[in-house]
Amino acid sequence: MSTLTLAAWATLVFCAPGYPGGAGDGQPYVDQFAKVAATTAGWKPDSLGAAYEPSDQGGLAKLSDKDSVLAFMPYAFYVEHAVALHLAPLAQVDVAGVGTQEHWTLVGKAGGPVTGPSSMTGYTILSVAGYAPEFVKHSALAAWAPLPADVKIEATGQILSALRRVASGEPVVALLDQTQAAALPTLPFAAQLKTLTQSALLPVALITVVDARLPDARAKAFQAALVKLNSTNGGAEMLASLKLKGFVLPQLPGNAGLP
Amino acid sequence: MPPIRPAAPLSSMTVEQLAAAVAADARRIDLETDSKVRDQLAADAMQNAQACLERAPQAAACLYYDGVALGLNARAHPLQASSVLKSMLEALSSAEAADPSYDQAGPARVKALVLIKAPAWPLGPGDPETGLAAARRAVALRPAYPPNVLALAEALAKTGDAHGAQDAYRHARDLIQALPPSRDRDDWQHQADQELSKLSASH
Repeated sequence: MSTLTLAAWATLVFCAPGYPGGAGDGQPYVDQFAKVAATTAGWKPDSLGAAYEPSDQGGLAKLSDKDSVLAFMPYAFYVEHAVALHLAPLAQVDVAGVGTQEHWTLVGKAGGPVTGPSSMTGYTILSVAGYAPEFVKHSALAAWAPLPADVKIEATGQILSALRRVASGEPVVALLDQTQAAALPTLPFAAQLKTLTQSALLPVALITVVDARLPDARAKAFQAALVKLNSTNGGAEMLASLKLKGFVLPQLPGNAGLP
Repeated sequence: MPPIRPAAPLSSMTVEQLAAAVAADARRIDLETDSKVRDQLAADAMQNAQACLERAPQAAACLYYDGVALGLNARAHPLQASSVLKSMLEALSSAEAADPSYDQAGPARVKALVLIKAPAWPLGPGDPETGLAAARRAVALRPAYPPNVLALAEALAKTGDAHGAQDAYRHARDLIQALPPSRDRDDWQHQADQELSKLSASH
């Protein structure tokens, strides 16, 4: 993409698979984010647009568009698609109430038969990150790798239903993000659940350059803008509307994004 | 635009008048495009609902419209929506316990809609499975009232039963077409047609 075209229009795609809200719900907030971030980077305010994609497939489709130069994504999405989409991390997201890193927790039925990876035969893992099986197997459940070959991984946005299925003794387990795991004690059937294993700390979300579509100088300027965004005038308030606190330089686990 | 507050002072209004005033606020909010006016209508609905509860704290009408008013305020102030929606669900549960048939099984119907549309656990009180159960209760009580069947269809779709949802929307459409012309009839018909198209397109 030429610099001339970039100056006219470029898009930051917010990929949010598994999280609540339709495309219209998040759009005003991501529009504002793009405008403030572009201005902070010294770009023309209207040189960067934003698109909110609530599904994995929608995000992938949007990222195939040559105007999609930047992407905001959960770490699971990054692990799943980093190689194919040539994603280069610019910044790691600091999410309000979570931080820049989080643990993922595998939950099974208390007193149930699952005690380790070998007893997972015939089981299904339900998770908001189920769209990213590579992330589930090799990042979130790295400590239990390899899982039995017949273990299925399914995406679900209905994690409460998934936990009810776990508690009822169905052959399913639930892989929870940090927010979900922290809320487990609030469930009336919490006593019927138990933590099976927990991941190491993993990044929560990233902003990346897509397929080298952003010239290096511009990428550096945007990265610097992201890191100082929460200290700019109105920046913290704008970030809070997206439940974000700010950005730090990326610190990825050693195997992230490798084939 | 007509004034938001009725001419009569709250203290002179009956329970029925106060409940009707909240219902009127809710209808006007749906048609209003100015966000400031919507905020005023939501605040007015809360005042009317509170006055109703002060008059008759156990009346199904007051409990139900307290729930409706809280819902209007959740829409007007989305950052506080999660806690307000929890209060709304409590009010609707109390209304359902007092009189499950009120407003054509309104407490269970509205509860169903909140549970299937609200952000799900742990971010909010959304719980589609419990919403489906509430929608089934509404339909069991008032099976010929189209909004109950539309709520059931929406709950079925949200919980993954696309065929059940299509059947329910078709049934709702049959019920709607048997009604005399009205604005409500047109709105319900539009909703049923639109959702059936979406479900047909995705399957």
